[in-house]
Amino acid sequence: MGERKSDVLQGTLDLMVLKTLYAMGPLHGFGIARRIEQLSEGVLDLNEGTVYTSLLRLQQQGWIASKWGASENNRKARFYSITRKGEKQLALETDNWERFAGVIERVLRLERQG
Amino acid sequence: MQFLRVWAARAIGLLTGRRQDLDFDSEIQTHLRLLTERYLSQGMSRTDADAAARRQFGNATLLKERQRAQRGFLSPAEWWGDIRFGTRMIMKRPGSNAAVVLVLMLGIGMNAAVFSFVNALLLRPPAGVASMGSLLEIWWHNRATGGVQGYFPFTYPDYAYFADHSRSLEGLLAFDGDGHPTIWNRSGAGQVVQGQLVSGSYFPLLGVNAVLGRTLSPADDQLATPRPVVVISHSFWQRQLDADPGIVGRTLVLNGTAFSVIGVAPSGFTGLLVATEPDFWAPLATQEQFTHDKGRVADRDGYWLIVAGRMKPGTDSVKAQAEMHVLARQLELEHPGSNKNLDPIVYPATLVPGPYRGYVAAFTGLLLAVFALVLLIACTNAASLSLARATGRTREMAIRSALGAGRARLIRQMLVESLLLSSAAGVASVALARWMTQLLLQLKPASLPIALDVPLDWRVLLFALLVSCATGVTFGLVPALRSAAVDAAPVLKEETRSAGLHKSRLRNLLLIGEIATCVVLLAGAALCVRSLMHANSIDPGFDTQHIAVATLDPGSLGYSPEKVSAFYRRLMDHVLALPGVTAASYADYLPLGTSEEVTSVAKQITSDPNKGRSDVFRVDPGYFSTMGITLRGRDFTQKESDSPEPGVVIVNEVLARQLWPGQDPIGKRIALGGAKATSEIIGVVKSGKYRTLGEEPVAVVYRGTLPPARTLVIRTSGDARSILQEVQRQVQVVDPMMAPTGSQTIEEYMALPLFPARTTGILLGASGILAVVLTAIGLFGVIAYVVSQRTHELGVRMALGARQVDVLKLVMSQGLKVTLIGLSIGLVAAFWAARLLAPLLYGISSNDPSTLIGVAVGVTAVAMLACYLPAKRAMRVDPAEALRYE
Repeated sequence: MGERKSDVLQGTLDLMVLKTLYAMGPLHGFGIARRIEQLSEGVLDLNEGTVYTSLLRLQQQGWIASKWGASENNRKARFYSITRKGEKQLALETDNWERFAGVIERVLRLERQG
Repeated sequence: MQFLRVWAARAIGLLTGRRQDLDFDSEIQTHLRLLTERYLSQGMSRTDADAAARRQFGNATLLKERQRAQRGFLSPAEWWGDIRFGTRMIMKRPGSNAAVVLVLMLGIGMNAAVFSFVNALLLRPPAGVASMGSLLEIWWHNRATGGVQGYFPFTYPDYAYFADHSRSLEGLLAFDGDGHPTIWNRSGAGQVVQGQLVSGSYFPLLGVNAVLGRTLSPADDQLATPRPVVVISHSFWQRQLDADPGIVGRTLVLNGTAFSVIGVAPSGFTGLLVATEPDFWAPLATQEQFTHDKGRVADRDGYWLIVAGRMKPGTDSVKAQAEMHVLARQLELEHPGSNKNLDPIVYPATLVPGPYRGYVAAFTGLLLAVFALVLLIACTNAASLSLARATGRTREMAIRSALGAGRARLIRQMLVESLLLSSAAGVASVALARWMTQLLLQLKPASLPIALDVPLDWRVLLFALLVSCATGVTFGLVPALRSAAVDAAPVLKEETRSAGLHKSRLRNLLLIGEIATCVVLLAGAALCVRSLMHANSIDPGFDTQHIAVATLDPGSLGYSPEKVSAFYRRLMDHVLALPGVTAASYADYLPLGTSEEVTSVAKQITSDPNKGRSDVFRVDPGYFSTMGITLRGRDFTQKESDSPEPGVVIVNEVLARQLWPGQDPIGKRIALGGAKATSEIIGVVKSGKYRTLGEEPVAVVYRGTLPPARTLVIRTSGDARSILQEVQRQVQVVDPMMAPTGSQTIEEYMALPLFPARTTGILLGASGILAVVLTAIGLFGVIAYVVSQRTHELGVRMALGARQVDVLKLVMSQGLKVTLIGLSIGLVAAFWAARLLAPLLYGISSNDPSTLIGVAVGVTAVAMLACYLPAKRAMRVDPAEALRYE
């Protein structure tokens, strides 16, 4: 456990998964996990199983859809894709996140006074 | 709406759980394999790669568990946890929870009991009949007559016409709705058995096959060549014939004619009519042996057959009804006299004949509604008790929610607890319902020759289950929503235990509703009980004590008129010689029974159609003294009574007043309908009740000329019950072949006319008492709880100088305010609801002011008592103790 990794902030995994699907098009669970790992550059400590919980949650909300297909090396896999509703939700969540992140950033930039 | 979507997805998930489990499994496996392959390609050993993949993926079992919970509503393990925790919480307060269970058991049990009657009468299909769905019942309806009197069963000729001409029906069957008490010559001694006349098509169309021998066929039921054959019921075969396996082909002598037994009906089959249990079924064509009515099958005005038909496949009741209309029109054209205005109505066949179904449904529906209100009170009670409890558990809920339990999770926990309580009540209520139905069946007059089977079948159990669940959710939901809405932070920060303003307002609303409902029920109960008291005190015009009654019909045996009167003369001699008998006589039947004879009356013979009408009773000498009816003038002589045209009659005061107002009718002459000469009035009797206890005065004329079927009335000096056995024995001594078709005391006889008042009086009385008790418990519980919550506050008040009486006022006023609001709402509602009862009441208006005032005073008194007891405790609060308690 040499290097320090950050936990995934609660609620942000859904946003990450949604955005990944939006950007990359249909993907299976393994593909999504790889993509997030790649982008996090090894900083995030992601239990890859939780990706699936997130996928189910998003699917129940109707923001993503899934269907069975063949993976690149011809394995049977379930492919997830973002829906029209999901895209709207993504825009909304992105806005929310940016506003929130903006606040955090401004707070963190506060200089010590006196 | 988003949550609806998620819930729908979860519901689907619940249903398709197994497949989704498998899918998800393969998804995880693929993922793990891909991870392993990646590590392998990085040069790890197989074992290391496997372990690394699993580490990176996380706990797959836990994931599956979560996935399952997220997909459906819960995992089984969580349910189990909730149930165990709920049971523990319930066991922690055994007293108050036992009270909730008891209260709910009473509510659910009474509903289940009433529902088992609804089920027995209206829902249960006849036992043993194949595919009831395609059976239709057909009744005549006279377009010119309203109400239930407008409906008639069929005549034989009309039945035969429909059976011959209908194309939409596979076939028609008919049976005589009236049972026939028949004398069975059982090796030399007469015994009364019940027979039913049915068409040859009856058994084949119902799809009922004999367990032994064969059933009746159309060939047995030819008018020209009637075959003297019977099918006997399974229970008759078992009870009376020792289940003799060789019974088929044996002979039963019924009403003096030999009938051969051709088969035994299957066990449980009792026919298509509720509350009848025939011992045997005979072909319609043999009706003369049972009805002693020669021309009945040819009579176009004799309505006696209940008709049903089975629809052909592909036909529906609308098509059948249309065809029946056409057939009826043809009959009306052919027979304009008898069939004028007659129109057939088809009903789906059930145990209660179509035209009466609405009335049965309305009455049982009223009772169900009444007991649903009782259950509502019970629910409100349970709700306010658990609301109080929930308030006490605010801290627990706050901690649980702080530890991460979601709102839904908290609601579920509370609901599981209330459902546990209500299911316990539901189980107990089934036992209560069983006991109650037995009790209610005893209300049935013994003289009604009916056998009502009230089974506790799956419908009743399902009803109890649904009502229990609905009850659990109803009384659990409000407290559950309240306690789940708890805002954790302030509750955990502060140490207050006080009930918020919001909660007490809700509790007060519940109490107000409870009291209002109680007032409505109590008003109904008071009305019905007072009506029963009225009915009991109505003077029927004859003595209702010290009289024994027996019905006899030697005509069944085909005796000649001479032999019949010889039998009656000898029997009278034997009866009068019995010790304790002071008088005895015969009548054709007693008043307030199910029979009636009506004739027209006038001062002279006239063809004026607007003559007066009068009920007719045919009596022997001594009838009035036996029955305790005051007679002015003289009684009949035996000779006058026996003569076919006696020329003398006795009238009641009502008839005397109608025809000769202000004059003495004795010695006047009266013309009875159909008589060729007028008759002399030799006596006047005091008027009584003749058809129903609540009737308006009825004109009555008494005459002689009794038919072979008679009622023997005997006046005794002691208890009439002790003589019944002896009378039965004397009948057999006089003629071994005879047996009374019924024998009872006059008190038992009076159970029939009092039946409606007794049933409603007892049932609604019970509902009223339950309502008051439940409401008192609810009020007491809530006030006691409030006092216990306010102990600290009351202590402070007293420490600051409040006197005991101030505390008493404070606590009482809270309870009384609620009571008075509930009372006023309840009185208004009762005023309207009581109208529903109006047709069932005797001698009391449905808005009787003294009853309503009495109810108001009674409810207030009970409420004051329920508030006073806890208030007294509050008064005794020791300020020092109360303050230290904090």
